[in-house]
Amino acid sequence: MTSLSKPKIAFFDFAGCEGCQLTVIDALQTDIDLLNVVEIVQFREAMSEKGDDYTIAFIEGSYTRFSDKERLIAIRDQAEIVIALGACAHLSGINAIRNLQSTAEVRRYVYGDHAEHFDVSLAKPISAVIHVDAFIPGCPIDRQEFVRAVKALLQGNLPDIPDYPVCVECKLKENSCLFWYGKTCQGPITRAGCGALCPSLGTGCVGCRGLIPSPNISSFKQLMSEHGTSEAGIEAKLKLFMTHEILKSEASGDGN
Amino acid sequence: MSLKILPKRGLSDWVSRLITEYRVVGPKLMKDQYIFGDIHSADDLALDYSTTILPPKKILLPQRETLIQFDTASSSQPIEPFIETQATIILGVHTCDMHAISLLDQIFLEGFPDQHYLARRKNITLVSIECLRSCSEHSFCKSMGTLSVPETFDLHLTDLGNSYALETGSKKGSALLWSMSAVRDPTNGDYRQLQKVMSEKWQSFNYRLVFDITELPSLLALSYDNTLWDEIGDRCLGCGACTIVCPTCYCFNVIDEVDFSLHRGARSRVWDSCQLDRFATVAGGHNFRVNRSDRQRHRFFRKGKYQMEAYGLVGCVGCGRCAQSCLVHISPVEVFNELYRRQSPITSLEQEVTT
Repeated sequence: MTSLSKPKIAFFDFAGCEGCQLTVIDALQTDIDLLNVVEIVQFREAMSEKGDDYTIAFIEGSYTRFSDKERLIAIRDQAEIVIALGACAHLSGINAIRNLQSTAEVRRYVYGDHAEHFDVSLAKPISAVIHVDAFIPGCPIDRQEFVRAVKALLQGNLPDIPDYPVCVECKLKENSCLFWYGKTCQGPITRAGCGALCPSLGTGCVGCRGLIPSPNISSFKQLMSEHGTSEAGIEAKLKLFMTHEILKSEASGDGN
Repeated sequence: MSLKILPKRGLSDWVSRLITEYRVVGPKLMKDQYIFGDIHSADDLALDYSTTILPPKKILLPQRETLIQFDTASSSQPIEPFIETQATIILGVHTCDMHAISLLDQIFLEGFPDQHYLARRKNITLVSIECLRSCSEHSFCKSMGTLSVPETFDLHLTDLGNSYALETGSKKGSALLWSMSAVRDPTNGDYRQLQKVMSEKWQSFNYRLVFDITELPSLLALSYDNTLWDEIGDRCLGCGACTIVCPTCYCFNVIDEVDFSLHRGARSRVWDSCQLDRFATVAGGHNFRVNRSDRQRHRFFRKGKYQMEAYGLVGCVGCGRCAQSCLVHISPVEVFNELYRRQSPITSLEQEVTT
């Protein structure tokens, strides 16, 4: 690449725990060369300066308030490329669990007498509000996947995010399958890219990276049931990170 | 062929000697499963293992390997091949996996040899071991004709109780016997023991296919439109485990990764799987096998028909790893038997009765 000026990038946060931004800060320490190839102009979690001349926007967190729309549109208007960063932005993550109840009740439960002062909408992935060019999944994101994504963007490509399940990475690492030990795992339906982190450490995948593009949900439910998970237990597991996707697939009448 | 005898008390010394000259890989226990891993002493080695999660193909064709290194900004040598091998012994390979390696050898070495596979393969010495009892409830090697060792072994071990019979199959194999003080020539008693072990082993294995293996390609040809594929597709999770653990699956993807210069990088080969969504997707986005049923059918046709036709070797060696890994109980021996039942005259008769 010739010595073009470094692309200006910015990070934005909506409803989320900011863990993905912390992972980015972590990546800036382990892969310090990142700072030689991009110029960060806005990153509230890490710096006070605030520039608005960015071309690439990384957005963390879910849309959860009607007023979020205006800010998201402003980011979209400025940025050439918008990337959803992490499960909350990508899938609405655990924020979407509240969509299983009435928004009015949720608002009253959380804010009590002051409920009417708070702006609360259905929780949505940011792609439900603005066009998103790519996503980096996970809760939190995978540091190395973020670094690879930045390199891909610098080369003029979109990041290549796996669309195969966690089982692939787990088997490649030659892990013993957790189902053989009376445990359960959402690896068969969850998007890989994490290096099968949780199953490698002996704990079942909780699905933070979202569903693979065409998951066999009904067969997976049958599998979970054969391994002793109750119907309510299966629902709870599927709806930890995947509520938005599951509700969407139920609404369209497939997957069950 | 020459036969030698290694008393078991000499095994430890032998392995210690091998380690000084070679990378030694063999079956070892990891938690409560066996894997092929680096052997640092005879204590690591579990020659009486059941089966391993991944087959020894991972040594011949690693899950990820660098093929070339490149620097697109360099005018003199923008691309350099990257070939790195190490003299390696794979110890204790079961006969099914030996047959699988014979197939991989044909695929990667015939015609246009794959330079990376070739370099690694030349540097590998295969020490196989006679299977004397069924290694897993899922294996069906006897039905697939893979319960005898193929001629590709360099050294072949048979457990005689207190000793191993060592059959030498190549110069590479005889090189492993160098300065082994414990090795001796066989006595008449050793020959009798070998004969006894070999004749008794067959009854420890069952024929699990209900038809002869030679009928498999034609059975599959008749079964292309069988409804069983849809039933399997309904169950299949599309997780790809069956192909990853398969000793004869070798499909790979090729990926490029650059460093922060964006012009220096490496091209790598990584295992791929025909069971994954994107595998049969081509430029323009069309996917030739969009359904899990199509993908599973393709897998079984590869194993039971296509590879037989292309290479004269059966693509499934009956190791049973896929059946063991499949969370929804898709087992090749059951699939093949079910197809046979559905094609058999009894089934047609039953259909006539019910219609």
